[in-house]
This record gives sequence, structure tokens and C-alpha cells, in this order.
Amino acid sequence: MSFTTSTALASKLPQAKDLSHLFVPTFRIHQKSPFKAVMGTPTLDMINMAGGVPHPSTFPLEQVQATVRAPSHAAPGRTGTLSLERTQANGSTESLNELLQYNDGRGMASYCRFLRQFTEQAHAPPYADWDVVASCGNTDSIAKAVSLFCQQGDHIIVEQYSFPGALSNLVFAKVKPVPVAMDIEGVDPVALDSLCSSWTGATLLRAIYVIPTGQNPTGATMSLARRKALYAVAQKHDLVIIEDDPYYFLQLGPMPETQDTTATDMNKLSLVPSLLSLDTDGRVIRLDSFSKILAPNLRCGWITAPAYIQDRMQILNESTILQPSGLTQGVISRLLNDTWGIEGWIEHLNAL
Amino acid sequence: MEADPTLLSLGAGLPHPSTFPFAQIGAHVAPAGASVANTAPADMLNVSVTTSSGAIEGLGKFLQYGNGRGVPSYAAFTREHTHRVHDPKYVDWDTVVSLGNTDAFVKALMLFYTSGDTLLVDEWTYPAIIGTVVPMNIQLAPVRMDAEGMVPEALDHVCTNWTGERKLRMVYTIPTAQNPTGATMSIARKRAIYAVAQKHNLVIIEDDPYYYLQFEPYTADSEHRYTNLPGITSLVPSLLSLDTDGRVIRLDSFSKVLAPGLRCGWVTAPKYITDKIQFHNETSIQQPAGVSQAIVASLMNEQWGHSGWERHLVQIQRDYAMRRDLFVDLCLKHLNGLV
Repeated sequence: MSFTTSTALASKLPQAKDLSHLFVPTFRIHQKSPFKAVMGTPTLDMINMAGGVPHPSTFPLEQVQATVRAPSHAAPGRTGTLSLERTQANGSTESLNELLQYNDGRGMASYCRFLRQFTEQAHAPPYADWDVVASCGNTDSIAKAVSLFCQQGDHIIVEQYSFPGALSNLVFAKVKPVPVAMDIEGVDPVALDSLCSSWTGATLLRAIYVIPTGQNPTGATMSLARRKALYAVAQKHDLVIIEDDPYYFLQLGPMPETQDTTATDMNKLSLVPSLLSLDTDGRVIRLDSFSKILAPNLRCGWITAPAYIQDRMQILNESTILQPSGLTQGVISRLLNDTWGIEGWIEHLNAL
Repeated sequence: MEADPTLLSLGAGLPHPSTFPFAQIGAHVAPAGASVANTAPADMLNVSVTTSSGAIEGLGKFLQYGNGRGVPSYAAFTREHTHRVHDPKYVDWDTVVSLGNTDAFVKALMLFYTSGDTLLVDEWTYPAIIGTVVPMNIQLAPVRMDAEGMVPEALDHVCTNWTGERKLRMVYTIPTAQNPTGATMSIARKRAIYAVAQKHNLVIIEDDPYYYLQFEPYTADSEHRYTNLPGITSLVPSLLSLDTDGRVIRLDSFSKVLAPGLRCGWVTAPKYITDKIQFHNETSIQQPAGVSQAIVASLMNEQWGHSGWERHLVQIQRDYAMRRDLFVDLCLKHLNGLV
């Protein structure tokens, strides 16, 4: 089920362009979710035995809890203990039984709901039919995003110096990286345009992989002007942009004279707008992770993209990990929805 | 870095643990072999992981980047459990973490197979793997089954008469409570399958999430049930335990016997294979979620121990045996003569 933002503005936004011509052949045909194929759709009061789903009475955990620190030193509230009870809903979060059970490849509803709300506040994607899917971190998301558009022997554009984890993935997938020159801000759009215009490779260039903020390894952060220019070149050459942005909220501006440590408004974080926030076509697949902004081994993140792309991402999840740990998503959802709330979350990001 | 411990490497981009949001993560857990429903709150065990380390690592380790082997106390428990139950018959076996058996299946498959290869499977096999292999352009070669599962003569026949361009190199099987048929292989059947795999030099993917759900034969006499359950000691031995060559890649999961939402499992195979799966983990999922590993590691190492875990498995076996019996009782009552 695809999500549409509930704001009045959203209804005036365009739908994403259909870029399915850029998919690898397997994904041009819309496949059924493997999870749904096994689990089916419940009818009447029938119990579907096909999935081998364990009975929750066998789960030995009665309650999960965590002691949470305050989001920042300047805002000492919103601390305490969060808990997940077994059979009842936990605030905005599902019951422990649901979190511990098999679920589909989209992610837990409460987790995704918070991240949609946060993505809307942080990026306000300028098209209507975007959605969020849970991931287990950006390294896995990179592999999955690349696999939608590139198969063995294909090429993908990368920054001249790029994240070693991504490059390893490309070696594994037998997808060849085509480097584009960088300067102090990152990818040079003129170089990118020239590369695409003069490309004579056997297969088309369909995607570019960039790390626009705190680039790994150069540390470069693209300005807004640079991002707009990059987006325009991507539009010209019909490229999908894989925006790998785990450091986005760690943008360090110039040292201010006074530190506003009680910021609860996203604007006070003074972040350069993301490529997603410029994405009128729906050609950006944005990869977000909790690794640098909450903890790395939570193994939780999220992907933002057009709903029809997310349907394929769900299939990729269900063919591999199913979804990130439901228990962990529940703990994060409880923390962010209830203990800290979105204001506390933004305070935490500000303090980081 | 090792020569001078005062040096801090910034190369890996590790966040500082003081930024992690949790000072403690824990759970109330039923004693081993008891169910939550039958345990009074005062008798619940407290599983707790804090920032200090003791018998297991602290949260600073469970929540930090690590490697594709998982957090050591979690990984060590799964390895020791495998040793206790299966006692692999070659020296250089090892275990590596997975996010469950679908993740493990893909990783095992990708070690040996690429686009255009063909995987030997039961003629009725687990539907979800079909969704997995199609995008990889891997074909499936079905092998006839009977009430015990894959028929060894049929496997031999398919391999002997194979005329495809690429050799058949792997066979995928679910030897216990096979999905969808429910078949469980006897030890004789497993030995015969293993012999055919040796003859044709096949790698066996042993997908065994239901291993502990082996039951005594059904009896309509409800007064005399549950006296002959196999427990842990009388289970049909696994293919791994017969594996003298090191050709079995065994997939184990906590999904059916602890909870699916932990996304925790492990793979057992020769070390040169588990090393490669470790590297594949490191370019994909890294390792199972730290929160899940923390709770499992604390529960297993600090509360239940191996004997408690085995007690829990025996209780789960009994729980599902009771469900099986109720199911068959009701089938006999309501479907007798109809099917």
C-alpha cells in the first residue's frame, strides 16, 4: 500500500515520473511479493499454515525495556525507561508479539510512520507518491538499489573517490564503476554532463551513486547550487540518483557565536537541502541510516523513493533479510514516537 | 595501531558510544522450559545488558560497528550449541551469523552459483526461495519426493542424466518438517542423499529451521502421549553430523524456536566458506541487530545456559507436538471419510 502525504500541499504535487524503463529486465515486470505469495491474504477466520509462522505463545520474552538517556544535555527531559509489552499496543508502537513475529518486507508500521513524518519535515519531497521502506543499513541498501538498475556487466557512475563498501558491492555484483571528477564540493556536474554525453559503452548509463554530505572518503559536502546543478544533469541524461546520506544530519556549519542548543525546529539545524528535497521527477533513491545518528549496530535505516520503486525494494527485502529486526524497529519506534518524540529527536540531532 | 594502543584510528568512522541513546536494554524472560503464560511475574528472569561488560560484552560493543562474525558472546553460543548437538566430523568447521535462513540461503547460493546456473530442489519446495532465485536468473531442477522427502535414486537420476550447459553443483533441502510437505527424513534417507551428493560432488544446503520439531508418531490414544518425544538426545541426526567431506552448509535460525522478529540465525560450514560469508555480510547486512544479539547473548550466557536452551527447545517440541495432535484429532473427527 503506498503512502500519500496528508497535507493539502501534497495533493497539488505531481506524481513521480515512471522510470521503470531504467530497471533491469527482471524488475520491469512487477512481481508478487514473496511474503504475500506464501502468507496470502487472510479470508474468513482461516489460519494460513503455509508460512511456517510460529505461535506467539512460544516466544519466551514477556517484556522488553530500555533505559534511555535525554536527547541532549541542554534538554534533560524525555529520559527514562521505555517498555514494550507483549500483547497490547505500546503507545504508537505495536505489541511485542507483533514485533517478534514475521512481518512483510516493508517494515513495521509504527517505524515507517515516524520516518515518513520525519522525512516530510526534513525534506518535503516535491512529488506526491513517495514512500519509506525499512532497511538494515546503507551498505545493504546500496546493494539493493544498484541491483534494481544494474546487472552483471552494466556500468554505474560513481564519484572519483568513493565509499569502499559501495565499491566492494559493485565488484561483487560485477557492475563496473565509472568515476566522475570531483572538486572540493564533490561531483563536478560539468564533468558528469561531459561523461554522459560522450559515453560509448556497450550498456547505457542509468544511475549515479553519490554521497553528497560528508563524502566518504573526501569529506566534501555539496552546496545547494551544486546539488541543483547535479540534479539538472541527471534529468538531462535520465539518470537515477542513489543518494547515500548517512552523515546528512551531522553537517557542521561554521561555528556560531552562540550555540542554539534548544533548537526544535528543523530549520535551526541549518542543513543544506538534500537531493530528495529537489526531486521533482522522483529519480532520487535516498538512503538514510541510524548508524551515525543513533547507533551503528541497531542495523536499522530507511529508504525513500517513489512507491513503485519501493514495491520492488519490498520484494528484494523479502527475498533476503525479510526486514530489519522487528524488535529493534519497535525499540526505535518507541524511543522516537513516544519517549523523545519528533521534537526530542531533532534536539538529539542538533546536539550531535 | 596494535603497536601503539594510545593511537585512535578514525579510519572506520565509528561513532562515539557516548552518543548511543541506551544505557541499558533488557527483557523479562520466562525460565527455560516454562512459557510466559504459565509464569508468574515474580518468577520471570531479568535479562539485562548495560554499558559495563561482564560475562558478556557491554552495550558499547553490542551497539557499535563490528564485523560480519557478530558479537563474540552471541557467536560463541551458537557455535558451542552446534558442537553439542551436531558434533561435526571434520576439524575445520566454523559458524557465522546470519539474519535468518532466507538471508543465509542467498549467501550460500551465491558462493557457488551465478546467473544461468541450476539448483536441485525438492519437487515441492519452499515457495519463498522461488522468489529469491528468479531475480538471480537461477533455474530450479525438481527432484521427486516421497513421504520422507527427496528420493535418493531420483536425485542420482537427475544428476546422471543432466545435459545442461552448466554442471549441477548444489542441492537445497529442508530435511525436517519440509515446507510444504511436512516430510522428515530418516537417518537412512539422509545417509543415502549424502552418498548421492558425494557421487556427484554436490554441495548440500541443509535448511533446517524446524530441526527440533521432531515428534513421536501420532497416536489416537490421548492418554499415552508425550512419553516418547525425541528431546535433544534422540533427534534424527542432521546432514551436518554425517558430513565427513565438508560439503554441507547448514542453516540454523532462531525464528521458529525463539522469535522471528529477532532476525537472528547462523550458518555452519567449513571455515573457508564461513570466512567468505563473513565478508559477504560485511558488504551487505554487517551482522544481526545488536539489540537482538544483546538479548539473546544475555539470555543464553547469563540466564539459561546451554542446558536451559535445550530445556526450552524440548518444551517447544512438546508444545508443537500437542498442536500436531490436536490438528490430527480434529482432522479425524471432522474429515474422516471425506479425504
